[in-house]
Amino acid sequence: MTFQEIILSLQQFWKSHDCIISQPYDTEKGAGTFNPATFLRAIGPEPWRSAYIEPCRRPTDGRYGDNPNRLQHYFQYQVVLKPAPADPQDLYLQSLSHLGLDPYQHDIQFLQDDWESPTLGAWGLGWEVRLDGMEITQFTYFQEVGSLEMNPVTVELTYGLERIAMYLQEVDSVYDLLWTENVRYGELYHESEVQWSIYNFEVADINLLQSSFDRYEQECQQLLEHPRGLVLPAYDCCMKCSHFFNVLDARGAISVAQRTGYIGRVRNLARKCAQAYFEQREGMGFPLLHKKNQSPRAKVRKKR
Amino acid sequence: MAPPQKTTKKLNAASSRKGQVASLPLLVEIGTEEIPTTLLPQALQDLALLSEALFSDCRLNYKQIRTIGTSRRLALMVDGVQSKQLSLSQQITGPPKSAAFDASGSPTKAAQGFAKSQGVSVEELTLKETPKGLYLTAEKYQRGESAKKVLTSSLPVYLAKLIFSKAMRWNNSQTKFARPIRWIAVILGHQVLKIEFAGLISGGVTWGHRYFRIKGKKGAQNVSLSNAANYIATMKKLGVLVDPDERRAEITSQIGKLAKLGKGEIDPLYRQELIDEAVWGVEHPHAILGTFQKEFLTLPKPVLISSMKEHQGFLSLVGNDGGLLPKFIAITNTPWGNTKLITKGNERVLSARLKDAQYFFLEDQKQPLHERVQALEGIIFHHKLGTMRQKVERVQELAGWMALRLGQNNISDLCHRAGLLSKADLTTGMVGEFPSLQGVMGEEYARHDGEPQEVCLAIGEHYLPRFPDDSLPTSSPGLLVACADRCDSIASFFSVGMVPTGSEDPLGLRRAAYGLVRIVSETALRLNLVEMFEQMIQILTKQGVGQGHPQTVSEIMGFIMDRLRFYGRTTMGLRDDVMEAVIRVRPHGTADVGDLLSRMRAVQSMVGLDDFETLMVGFKRAHRIVEKERWNQTGVNPERFQHESESRLFQVFEKAQQEVSHGVATGDYAGVLKSLLTFKSAIDEFFATVLVNDPESAIRENRLSLLTAIDRLFLNIADFSCIQSASTDVG
Repeated sequence: MTFQEIILSLQQFWKSHDCIISQPYDTEKGAGTFNPATFLRAIGPEPWRSAYIEPCRRPTDGRYGDNPNRLQHYFQYQVVLKPAPADPQDLYLQSLSHLGLDPYQHDIQFLQDDWESPTLGAWGLGWEVRLDGMEITQFTYFQEVGSLEMNPVTVELTYGLERIAMYLQEVDSVYDLLWTENVRYGELYHESEVQWSIYNFEVADINLLQSSFDRYEQECQQLLEHPRGLVLPAYDCCMKCSHFFNVLDARGAISVAQRTGYIGRVRNLARKCAQAYFEQREGMGFPLLHKKNQSPRAKVRKKR
Repeated sequence: MAPPQKTTKKLNAASSRKGQVASLPLLVEIGTEEIPTTLLPQALQDLALLSEALFSDCRLNYKQIRTIGTSRRLALMVDGVQSKQLSLSQQITGPPKSAAFDASGSPTKAAQGFAKSQGVSVEELTLKETPKGLYLTAEKYQRGESAKKVLTSSLPVYLAKLIFSKAMRWNNSQTKFARPIRWIAVILGHQVLKIEFAGLISGGVTWGHRYFRIKGKKGAQNVSLSNAANYIATMKKLGVLVDPDERRAEITSQIGKLAKLGKGEIDPLYRQELIDEAVWGVEHPHAILGTFQKEFLTLPKPVLISSMKEHQGFLSLVGNDGGLLPKFIAITNTPWGNTKLITKGNERVLSARLKDAQYFFLEDQKQPLHERVQALEGIIFHHKLGTMRQKVERVQELAGWMALRLGQNNISDLCHRAGLLSKADLTTGMVGEFPSLQGVMGEEYARHDGEPQEVCLAIGEHYLPRFPDDSLPTSSPGLLVACADRCDSIASFFSVGMVPTGSEDPLGLRRAAYGLVRIVSETALRLNLVEMFEQMIQILTKQGVGQGHPQTVSEIMGFIMDRLRFYGRTTMGLRDDVMEAVIRVRPHGTADVGDLLSRMRAVQSMVGLDDFETLMVGFKRAHRIVEKERWNQTGVNPERFQHESESRLFQVFEKAQQEVSHGVATGDYAGVLKSLLTFKSAIDEFFATVLVNDPESAIRENRLSLLTAIDRLFLNIADFSCIQSASTDVG
């Protein structure tokens, strides 16, 4: 199964389980959780089922394209189900079968993982799922997001696509993965790993990043106070800050003590955005609350 | 205010007419998603305790309670549950007749209130003769209900009391549990009980092992339990070894066989820990033997172990020579899978990890440790305290100074070197990847660089003790660098006013101080901590870090003494008052922890003895007088003695004075205490025969001076006035 077939298979599977196939969000982010389709939609009582692929950036994980297992830019497949259904583990195992990973053939274990995102003011309990000893998915029941208690609870599944693909294709280097029958992952992304590693670790302009952080932080605060309720743009600014922090971190420009400070600043924005989003949706009467058949088709119709 | 009520209860076994009362097995199975292995043993214990409480509170007799389970099910099995609850007759005494009825003979508010509180009408109350007179009494009789009814209503209440250190919500019920509950089966004998808990209604259905296919069954792999007995056997047929002891036995036998097959033995180091983890992690263990490429054996053993144990939970194998074999054992959760495929998958994961480690190991060795010290400038120790580079400079200087101070001039240079290199491995890729290998890698790389043996060892050892009962460094340089490192952390944070408060220890200073206390009390190091911290503050000031002020050292000593108290209490069973008594008289400017502990032990060995208690009565009387009069002269003139008891006391004093000063000088505190005991009868006699407050001031002053001299003598070892007497209150 090629990399793109894996993606398509998951899209197909979760579409058939009433998920809205959302799209990657067009701002840099460290994890699919940052996508408003997860972070914001998890907030409040409105039901939400969505699945999407998300390119993620973790500048500190860059290895100049030298390490076969580590990338500063990689892909997650993200599924969020709210309220959490009664059988999310079964659904998940079915999705693996759909990928050709037969749970009856392999050893699939759910190992304790207490998930926490200090920048998002979020935490949850769940597992890392191991397939024959390899971590392939994070499985989390959100308890708080943006410091708001979840009610109902959202369950989040995050598939590590490269890991799964490496297993399925039996290759030892991520760069050897077949994206299509003819084109390898490395051909598409190796050069990008090299250049971005150089940029993140050596070249990125620290002053620019620092002042961008400060200014986006300010912008976020101002947007949150804007009389016309610009919560969504505000949250984009919060994501920007998180990304600038990540690059500063990779650039070695953040001391241990400053770290906590920066994280606290992003969390503060995330909290405010979460609160403002909740209030805004509440003001709108939680529009998705009574949408019984929340299916991709319904969504498309509405957009037209 | 409610009147005092007295209750007499009588429990009666339900009548056995119609042969209703039977003895039945009960099974409660709580089916969950995977509960963390660390929480399971406690959860099963709690479940058993809660069940005991339930049965006793509900007046249900039973024979035996047992709880077993896996990460996917907590099972409560109770043998011999009586099918009927015991009935209860109660007599509850209320207010006396006089308070219960008014002049007209009508019930008062008190009587009405009592009736209401007992849930009966006033008319149902009776008057009962008691030794104190007539009292209003409520008679209540509760007929024993069926066990089915009692359990159905009580089980949810008691299950709700099962709490976890980290719990979550997952559905509308808002129940908190370690992980979501997905089914509940409750069966009493052959009967399914319907209880409501966590948003579920119980039934008689259970689910088997997730990856076990029941023959001939398609779709959901759930099965009805027909009765509460044979649960273990039934689950086995569904692929689940629900009894943890059975899983443990299975694992032990399987890994034993595989180790033999692999021509090695299980590495004993983490054997138990990993087996425990597996016992609770799987529903049906299946161990597999895997291998990795021999070339990875060139990696240091701790690196291999970390990769296998910490990341993968693999057991490692050692050969005859005790060296690691290129093999591992993993415990999977499925005997029905494709073992070949599963083994290959696990091998690939480990191989990728080891490849990473090998890459770091080779890369790291390209730069010797001493060249890495410079790079510590890039690591912030704390924003108020500068970089790690500055920290190691301080540690290095202090460790060297300590060696000289202790007269161990020969190791001063080694301590200096080890201090300098102690944190250099923080800049290596390996420690970045495996933080738990800090120190271990430093030692390894120092060896590779050809550093002196003692320096290598000290680098590795200076993190010891890592936790309260961890081992201590074995070498002198290791001990000194360990002390210097801790001393630096404590002194530097104190010097910028970052002092631990409350019970939290975010900077690890309590842990550091405790380690320091252990090192100086359990080894032959006779360090004067006051001097050491003074030196440290000087070094800090010289570096321009922090604002050490004269108060800092005494604040630090207070903090250290606090840890000493904790240490004395928990490891030696020393009493708080005894420790306080000794700490109070600690000579200014020194703190020899080992010496303080010997004093405490000597004092405690006397406390509680009759002679000592008697002595204390006399001593404390003397002490109070001296304190009250604020007398501070000790010149005694024997010619002014009026009474024989005065001269006797003085004689005892002179003899004891010599013995005490000798005992203190040689550390023979048992001897000191023994000579103090000689005061016992002399002091008593003194107070029995003379009055200190003699009208003639010269006589009075002479007596005060004698008592003061004695008081001071006692203060040589402890402030005995803090010691709580066993029999009387000290006041």
